Amino acid sequence: MAEKPIQGEKRVFMTGNEVVAWAAVAAQADIMYGYPITPQNEIMHYWTRMAPKFDKKFLQTEDEISAGFTTLGGTLSGKRAFTATAGPGNTLMQEPMSLAEMLRIPAVFVIQQRGGPSTATVIYSQQEVTLTTFGGNGEGHRIVYATATHQELFDYTIKAFNTAWKYRFPTFVLGDGYQAKMRESLMIYDPESKGITMVPTEPIVGAPGMPGVDRDPVHLRNCLNTEEELYDIVKEHQRNYDAIWAEIEEHDAQNCEDADIVIVSAGVVCRSALVAMEQLRREGIKVGYFRPITLRPFPANAMKAALANAKKMLIVESAEGQLARLVKDAIYGLTVPIETLFKPGVGITSEEIIDRIQGLNK
Amino acid sequence: MLFREIIQILKIQLDILDTINIVTLVGGALLSRIVEAYVGEYASGKSECAVNRALHLLETEADVTLVDLDFVEPFYTLRPIREELKERGLGVVAWVTEETLGLGETGSLMKPEMRWVLRRPGNIILDIGYGVKGAQILNLIEGAHEDPDLKIFAVINSGRPLTSSFEDVRDYILGLGPVHGLINNSHLGDDTDIAFIQEGAKMVTAVAKSVGLPMIATCADERFKTDLGEFDVVGNPVRYLKRYMPRTFW
Repeated sequence: MAEKPIQGEKRVFMTGNEVVAWAAVAAQADIMYGYPITPQNEIMHYWTRMAPKFDKKFLQTEDEISAGFTTLGGTLSGKRAFTATAGPGNTLMQEPMSLAEMLRIPAVFVIQQRGGPSTATVIYSQQEVTLTTFGGNGEGHRIVYATATHQELFDYTIKAFNTAWKYRFPTFVLGDGYQAKMRESLMIYDPESKGITMVPTEPIVGAPGMPGVDRDPVHLRNCLNTEEELYDIVKEHQRNYDAIWAEIEEHDAQNCEDADIVIVSAGVVCRSALVAMEQLRREGIKVGYFRPITLRPFPANAMKAALANAKKMLIVESAEGQLARLVKDAIYGLTVPIETLFKPGVGITSEEIIDRIQGLNK
Repeated sequence: MLFREIIQILKIQLDILDTINIVTLVGGALLSRIVEAYVGEYASGKSECAVNRALHLLETEADVTLVDLDFVEPFYTLRPIREELKERGLGVVAWVTEETLGLGETGSLMKPEMRWVLRRPGNIILDIGYGVKGAQILNLIEGAHEDPDLKIFAVINSGRPLTSSFEDVRDYILGLGPVHGLINNSHLGDDTDIAFIQEGAKMVTAVAKSVGLPMIATCADERFKTDLGEFDVVGNPVRYLKRYMPRTFW
């Protein structure tokens, strides 16, 4: 038995990619499958560096389609398996991700968004929000956590394994190139030391016993003969998804009760939004802050409540309206005017948000 | 036949020229210039140590060149502060982002002047990419393996989980290739405290002793100057760092 990677808790200084690798080790993940792509490479680098020490496995595949499918294979065999990708890799991986939705395979995917479309930049963006939440030829039956700090990358990578295995939906940690490469301190910990029990895994196919005699057969189907079969399955998935929606959704709302304007942002941009909100509050401007932590399922009711008294909202994102589309869908029926600060593929500072809001107030 | 002979003669002449260059270099080196390469783990702080060392040297030396050789994944690069450093009198060999437009994902090409940088006169500080692969960049620098002045210093941050214990740091140093000294740069970014720096100093110094290498210094953020003093808890000199790297995100 390999030693525990982290005893208790420990404050460390790391890049976001390393954080993900350490979190996966701490979460007792068994195997990572992957294909290199910037800006997620160091997740693989550090996972493979630690793998021999902690008795973990790694398989480098020939491309992201294969990385996604082998992750599903590992998961079906009962391993706590994950992969990581970005940009064009995320595009290629949509087919296995869709299969995971169809067959309810609890695989974990870490996405470090880069600039798009296509190869674009290796650096940063929030342009994979649509792809990660609703990519693939399905209904978006997946769970997506959008992180903003290294601590969250650690916490939510661990959580993603438990969410996936508890609810049996593919689960995503949506970071970005800035988070991947940034370095800051965080507390890493053994989940048990925080009272977090890892949800046990089990073989989904190939379980012991004779199917039909010792146990029910497992019949996983992604190719159906009739429209009616498909309809029944997708509707069942939707019912299951709706049933757990409230249990899974997460958000952070601050100072929204009396806010004239609410800044809405997700992921790393929240850090700037929070600083902007605090600064503007100090100047006496009534600004609120709303952040969906789960982009799927989206915290729609919480957002409507946060906007109940607002005169305006400002949606801020490093994409051309991908978060805004999720927001508009979630708040359908509200009449709060929407202002936007869209900077596809480019970082957003608190100063820019402050300037924008001060401009709106003139 | 004649063609082959001509080629042979040319090759001999080139070899002679190269030998002259090396002799000249070795001769020049006797004038005791400082040539230091900073290597270390990803996020160990090697770039911060290198920039500060170069600027510190500039206070007493007229001719100091800082070279950005972090090709492994140059997300933190000297590029954004290149002009500022130049204005302060430092020679800086680094790309500027505009020069790399169009290079796509291979935006970390070697600038030709980097290859020949050790042939420059004066003091030279090299900021090398991370890990063992980073240290191998020296294989591409002309004269690196013959330069008697070149000292390679490994920067260790005990806040990095893979270099947080005596055993891990020792293994890391032994796998790094030629190293001439260790630098303790133990920190946790904004969350650093003096106790953390001192614990790092003890551990890195113990590793240095066990592998027979000298301790060059402990590096620490300048905000600790009053409380930490000139020497760390084990007697290593403290080099204070002004933090430039937070401004150098690609």
